[in-house]
Amino acid sequence: METLSAIFPPRDCSLLVAIIVLPLLGAIVNGVFGKRLGKDAVTLMALASVGAAFIGSIIVFFMLKAAQTGEEPARLVWTGWQWMQLSSIGELSSLNQGGSIQRIGIDVAFSVDALSGTMALIITGIGFLIHLYSTKYMEDDPSYHRFFSYLNLFIFSMLVLVLGDSLPILFVGWEGVGLCSYLLIGFWFTDVANAQAGKKAFITNRIGDFGLLVAMALLVRYTGSLSWSGIAAHADNLLRPITIWQVPLLQDKAGWLGAVGGPVQVSIATLVGLSLFLGCAGKSAQIPLYVWLPDAMAGPTPVSALIHAATMVTAGVYLVCRMAPVFVLAPAAMFTVAFVGACTALLAATIALVQNDIKKVLAYSTVSQLGYMFMGVGVGAFGAGFFHVMTHAFFKACLFLGAGSVIHAMHARVHDNNASQDLRNMGGLRHHLPLTHWTFLASCLAISGFPLTSGYYSKDEILEKVASSSVLVPSGGTIMSSLGPITLFSWPSWGPKFLAAAGLIGAVMTAFYMFRLYFLAFWGEFKGWKIVADWKEPAHAVAGGHDDHGHAAHGHDAHAHDAHAHDGAPLEGPTPQESPWQMTLPLIVLGVLALFGGILFSHAMETWLEPVFASVARSLDAGEKAGYVQPLAFAAFLVGFLGAVFVYYMRKGAPAALLAAQFPALYRFLVDKWRVDEFYDEFFIGTVDFIADIFVWVDKWVVDGIIARLTAWLVAVSGHLLRLLQTGKIQAYAAVMMVGTACLGWFFTMPQAHTHVERDDASGHYVVSAAPGLGYGYRWDADNDGKPDTEDFANKTSVELALSVGETKTVKVEVRNAFGRVSTANVVLTRPKPEEPRSAEADTNAGTRIAAEVAR
Amino acid sequence: MTVGGVFFLACSLLCLVGAVATVIARNPVRSAMGLLATIVGIAGLFLLLSAQFLAAIQLIVYAGAVVVLFVFVIMLLGADSSPAREDRARGAKIVSGVLLAIMAVGSIFALAPRTDQVTRFAPVTADHGSVEAVGKMLFTTGVVPFEIATALLVVAGVGAIAVARDRQGAMKPKKVLKDPRDLFVGPLMPRDDTGRPKEMTP
Amino acid sequence: MILMGQLLEHYVLLASVIFAIGAVGFLVRSNILVQLMSIELMLNAVNLALVAYNRVHVDNMGGQMFAFFIIAVAAAEVAVGLAIVLSFFRLRGTVLSDEADTLKH
Repeated sequence: METLSAIFPPRDCSLLVAIIVLPLLGAIVNGVFGKRLGKDAVTLMALASVGAAFIGSIIVFFMLKAAQTGEEPARLVWTGWQWMQLSSIGELSSLNQGGSIQRIGIDVAFSVDALSGTMALIITGIGFLIHLYSTKYMEDDPSYHRFFSYLNLFIFSMLVLVLGDSLPILFVGWEGVGLCSYLLIGFWFTDVANAQAGKKAFITNRIGDFGLLVAMALLVRYTGSLSWSGIAAHADNLLRPITIWQVPLLQDKAGWLGAVGGPVQVSIATLVGLSLFLGCAGKSAQIPLYVWLPDAMAGPTPVSALIHAATMVTAGVYLVCRMAPVFVLAPAAMFTVAFVGACTALLAATIALVQNDIKKVLAYSTVSQLGYMFMGVGVGAFGAGFFHVMTHAFFKACLFLGAGSVIHAMHARVHDNNASQDLRNMGGLRHHLPLTHWTFLASCLAISGFPLTSGYYSKDEILEKVASSSVLVPSGGTIMSSLGPITLFSWPSWGPKFLAAAGLIGAVMTAFYMFRLYFLAFWGEFKGWKIVADWKEPAHAVAGGHDDHGHAAHGHDAHAHDAHAHDGAPLEGPTPQESPWQMTLPLIVLGVLALFGGILFSHAMETWLEPVFASVARSLDAGEKAGYVQPLAFAAFLVGFLGAVFVYYMRKGAPAALLAAQFPALYRFLVDKWRVDEFYDEFFIGTVDFIADIFVWVDKWVVDGIIARLTAWLVAVSGHLLRLLQTGKIQAYAAVMMVGTACLGWFFTMPQAHTHVERDDASGHYVVSAAPGLGYGYRWDADNDGKPDTEDFANKTSVELALSVGETKTVKVEVRNAFGRVSTANVVLTRPKPEEPRSAEADTNAGTRIAAEVAR
Repeated sequence: MTVGGVFFLACSLLCLVGAVATVIARNPVRSAMGLLATIVGIAGLFLLLSAQFLAAIQLIVYAGAVVVLFVFVIMLLGADSSPAREDRARGAKIVSGVLLAIMAVGSIFALAPRTDQVTRFAPVTADHGSVEAVGKMLFTTGVVPFEIATALLVVAGVGAIAVARDRQGAMKPKKVLKDPRDLFVGPLMPRDDTGRPKEMTP
Repeated sequence: MILMGQLLEHYVLLASVIFAIGAVGFLVRSNILVQLMSIELMLNAVNLALVAYNRVHVDNMGGQMFAFFIIAVAAAEVAVGLAIVLSFFRLRGTVLSDEADTLKH
């Protein structure tokens, strides 16, 4: 340990860089050279890079453990270089008691503490297992190397996200995982639906990122820092009011107009919390931005396991835990988080009850469990919420990989994407896929909260904390603002009760739909095809084993949802095969962790994470321990489990079909996922389309019409008019020339009346002379009487004037040339006043007086 | 009424009638005759103004060459045989004609002599407009324009030929290029029909 | 009738009338040859005015010299102009200037 601390000192821990860079290296090598290197090399590179990152994470974990002495959370930091420098004036200057410009540097720095260290372990560990799984799952895919390149890139981005020391670095990782999600969901992009699913994921994510950027802007402005330590240190600055809505014109009016226009003020902490939660809602699929997750099942199953179960979607929970010092200052934001989490949990669970695609059930299950996690962190149980992240990673990844194993077996005969995933084509697989079956069962028990499984520990802890604890109102409940005191939101008394009830109902539904899935897939009769002992592949060769998209060339193999061949005879096929060891080993590992992870890690995790959240514990009201929650949770599990047993095991699904027939509208509503996608399409996308139509009209008629077509029309019309002059006849041209010459002649026969003044301001003697010319005669008017001095035009070319001080005179001259045309010119002469004369003082004062005047 | 006055009246009448005839006549030959009359009238007025040399030159060059040239061209073209085409720009022509007439009348009124502003001729000696007087001026002050005018006349002559020649048909056939060896053969060398030297037989 | 033929104004008046007639003729007639003759009229009118002014300011023979040059140049111009008329006739078969409107539009 000492040698490790010597090589990687806590303040300059380059091991963090190694952990992060190795997957990036794997991504680059696989991406650029993958095709040339061949499958084995690509496999080796990918597994080696993630495996090395995992080993590094373990080492870091032990180093942290060793360094954890006392109350302060242990941290290992590595600082790289300065990325950018922001300068700010105004708010922060007043914070720092100076009028000068503050420079805030944003550094590329990585740090790890208990929270991010655990996340890194989860990411690299489960990531490694899924890489191993994918080597067999994606075996026959022509873009094998591209898949691993993207997967490694994802690991890299996720590590940057959790190991970043400041919000901008986290944001880089945040965007990176969004990008990798897009790339991996649309991995088989030749099918347009997959590409569209990828786009939907990315765009929905982006909407959330707006919230994150707003939060970053507010934080950097009001706390002067974006790194975790900086934010925590200056977090109290956020307890100030900020006006978020104000219409100046309507402000002072009476009645509802005044209410609309009046300033609405909130504390900055609330605004930051809500913006951050918007980002989390995008990334972690909460209402309203969860719609991308079910569509993301278009990607390969390992992708769903890694990204959409274990790691990426938990980034939102990680962010809330990281920003706990800010969140606890905003009870309103926390309550929003918990409430939205509860609603999401309920909504997704109801949809999962009726889905027929195995991956869609798991996807909605993920959304629901994420809702649980946000419920946990929303009431201040950061440790409990995070522990659920960990256990969820175990059992959900196991569930997804198990589903992948099932699909892999189905694909041997059914190549159509939708049919091989449809639950109605499965059944009785426990005989044929034993390992998959047992691990799947273990994970189902975990997710439902069977006692002593990991899910039991984490979910029950959340429910307990939800029922009892809440967030205290900071700073005595009011903050001062320019408009008077603002009362801060305080946790409503019905809050914990409501959240607990939602959680319990959700638990019932979770148990029910998970066991429905289990029984439909593994029990009963196999409905996929008729199993024939020595079935051989028919003559027409099938290329590319089990890529999860239907080739157009596979038309004759692509089946509809029923499992019959075209010619009417029932489909025949081989026995479904268990998957190879590379796929079952991760299943076994994850299944064991799902079952025993709670017993092993629950208490350890609590003490491990305690120092990280110690500072925020002060702001939380732990409340009385709600002892009634645990029995209720067990009861919920029983209700759900027994219900599923009754409906799907004993009655083979008949009661469910009956219910669906009796309430068709409700059934359709749930199957259509509450028609949220359709609502978004109509409302938001429809609005954007409408605005776009307006702009198309503006572009066509205003920009094109006025600027392009009108000007062109003007030019064309003037061209038409001018063209009429071009008759081609010399006589017409000659006539025009004649007119022009006449004009020139008029101009040339004009006399030029230019005058020149000789000034002598001192004596007031001025001479005005006119320019000479051939045959010019002059007539002056020098005495200001408005009448010319002489009747006739004479040869007098100049006139002399005398002006007294400050006097102004006007001299007018008329010039006539030999053609008899006259032009006039006016000259205004002003004699300026001289400077103030020096007063004649006595000699003794002359010197000082002169000096004073010179100085002046 | 002095003789000079009568002469002046006669010559100016001749000028005016000729000018109007030039402009109005349908037949271009008649226009040419009108021009001739104007020129002769102007020559007479030159005589009145003591510009004898110029009067002679006027008659020789203008009446003797320019008008003859006009008549030649009219005959060459058979200009009176041009079919009477409809006048397409009649309106524009009338407008410009009227405009000009107004200009002319206006200038006449502007320049009409008033009894108190007449300009009389200065007295001159007999050799005021003689050949020597003009020639003296021409070859001292105006020698550069004189030489340039010479060049101008040469250029004009060449240009007229270049512009007016008939490009088709009157050209000679292109001459066959000679063998350079023929350059070393003397002119007394026996030649065959085409003009090439016969081969020497040793 | 006063001193007919002995006042500058008479000659200048006559010259301007002939000039105007020539100008009008140029603008109105469409036969190119008549147009050229109208130009000759204008030149002659200018010659008359120049020589008349020379008769007033007798010291400088510049007026008559200028008229001499005008005659020379007018002759050259007529030669070239008629050559052009010939070419035009060969091209178009007519001597009406209305036909020379290829520059139209």
